[in-house]
Amino acid sequence: MSDVLSPAPETRQPLPPVRKPKKSKETEVGRSSVMTWVWNVIALFVAVVMAFPIYWMIITTFKTNKDLISQDPTFWPSSFSLDSYKTIFDDASFLPALRSTLVLTVGAVVLGVAVGFLAAVAVARFNFRGRSFFIVTMLVVQMVPLIAILIPLFVVMNNAGMTGSLFGVILAYLVFTVPYVIWTLRSFIVNIPAELDEAAMVDGCTQWGAFFRIILPLTMPGLVTTAVYSWIQAWNEFIVASMLLSTSGNKSQTAMTWLTFYSSTPTRAADYGSQMAGGLLVSLPVIILFVFFQKKVSAGLTAGAVKG
Amino acid sequence: MSVTTNETVTRSDNQGPAPVKKPQRRGVFAGGQYIPYTLLLPAIVVLAGVLVYPIYKLIDLSFMNVNRFSFLAHPEKAKYIGFDGFSKVLGDDTFWEVVLRTVYFTAELVLLSMVLGMLLALLLNRVSAWVRVTFFTVMMFVWAIPALVNGQVFRWLFSSNSGVVDYIAYLLTGDESWKHYDWFADSTVGLYVVGASVVVWGALPFLVLGLYAALTQVPKELMEAAKLDGANSFQAFRHVTLPVIRPFLMISTALSFIWDFQVFAQIYSLRNSSPEDGYQTIGIYLYMHGVSSSQYSNGSVISIVMIVMMLAVLVYYIRQMLKIGANER
Repeated sequence: MSDVLSPAPETRQPLPPVRKPKKSKETEVGRSSVMTWVWNVIALFVAVVMAFPIYWMIITTFKTNKDLISQDPTFWPSSFSLDSYKTIFDDASFLPALRSTLVLTVGAVVLGVAVGFLAAVAVARFNFRGRSFFIVTMLVVQMVPLIAILIPLFVVMNNAGMTGSLFGVILAYLVFTVPYVIWTLRSFIVNIPAELDEAAMVDGCTQWGAFFRIILPLTMPGLVTTAVYSWIQAWNEFIVASMLLSTSGNKSQTAMTWLTFYSSTPTRAADYGSQMAGGLLVSLPVIILFVFFQKKVSAGLTAGAVKG
Repeated sequence: MSVTTNETVTRSDNQGPAPVKKPQRRGVFAGGQYIPYTLLLPAIVVLAGVLVYPIYKLIDLSFMNVNRFSFLAHPEKAKYIGFDGFSKVLGDDTFWEVVLRTVYFTAELVLLSMVLGMLLALLLNRVSAWVRVTFFTVMMFVWAIPALVNGQVFRWLFSSNSGVVDYIAYLLTGDESWKHYDWFADSTVGLYVVGASVVVWGALPFLVLGLYAALTQVPKELMEAAKLDGANSFQAFRHVTLPVIRPFLMISTALSFIWDFQVFAQIYSLRNSSPEDGYQTIGIYLYMHGVSSSQYSNGSVISIVMIVMMLAVLVYYIRQMLKIGANER
């Protein structure tokens, strides 16, 4: 599935080249078709249990008020209503919050991937003093809990006069995007043989030509993977945004701080219809990314093997 | 630094008799001694600004008496107080309760999610292909939901007014009193049952997908050989499957520990932004007592303690990752 999962040192050595597993057949040793069906039913049951919270969230957004406060919740709404969505879109700070999240996320992803890519090339293609130290550091810093450096980050940003501005938050997000991008892209670039761009240059490419024609296209999957992952991280981030933007009151919110603020307002705390609608709407961009880049996301999360 | 030497050893081992004097800069980047440093410069500047300096500042702050008042309004009031901050935070009984709670909660989460993840991965290994695809699709959606929204959804599921879990419990038992059962009244139930289910629910997709991928690496021939030699299912699992998936198992356990130890968003939104004392694990305690109450110096002390507590597992995890990373090179 990912390049890190499979080539674990202990697994590889004793075996012949890793083979793709055959589709399991019922005729296999010790597997009867009756048992397969028993397992199928159990697996489907677990899938239903796992899916239920999502189902419930979605179905709640379409329920009418009467259904919502009923003591006997119905598993299918008696009538569909879009009122919950209307409430959310009527909230004056919802769309601005989405817009600033978008700015923030795009900024953090573009900056993070650009800065990280350059460093990853340096780490993967050059042997310089302190290279190993740098690589290890990149791995270590990914593991420092974000919440633990929240306070000093705020103090530093405040001293620099960047609290309350989206740009400050974008810079702060580089704390988790850059090390991740460097660590992950490094393994992508290492796997591009230097002979390839040498050959391109022998065939008449300039240095930049070889870079743009060979290295960049071959790193593309890695760039997409890291960009998608960074996007999800930045979009879902809550504590840094809420702390750094706290100085500007509630004027500049991100989707996540908006959602938290919205749900904890006393008048809305019990209105689960609109809360679920809000929650669903702010997670939609991430869900869509997950669906489109399914393979890349799981590869990215496991390859960098990082924070969730 | 022993880890780094480790890396070079593994690499040369893998490549066999490597050329002794290999030209270091090849391809596009041949020539130009300062190129690597130029490429690294932006990353180093950025990380120095948002990571290295803040970490220095964290240690600095922990020896001071800074709060929002003395930080924003009267910077001259901030002064160094040596270890007084440490003795104040560490001398607080509540803090040790929080630490203990964090340890229990983390242990529960890691154990539950690893065992469930392993069982589900084994289950998926046995089912028909279409069931597996269905299962993975569900997993993908569960994975995609942001942690903050997870907490919100579970707050609604377990709500004592029209909450669906209460209703299902009523349907199953026929006992009316279930309909108004308040899961959050007792923080032990609220944290160790509801809180744990949010976190485990969100963590399972990564674990199941990863463990399943690891299981597919187990060669069928070995399994069959074990069966022919008379091993029962458990023995086959213990002696054939486990050694193969061990690396991923260890890494994902370490990762689960790291994630669960600092868990914040799920619990925070589960308690609607104001977790009661009984729900405070160390991440939340830090947020409530350092960040939102603006006790910056106390918060820094808590942060340092938190990092120190994670250190052992961090070191283990990083060594494992370096082994694998080195193999890639």
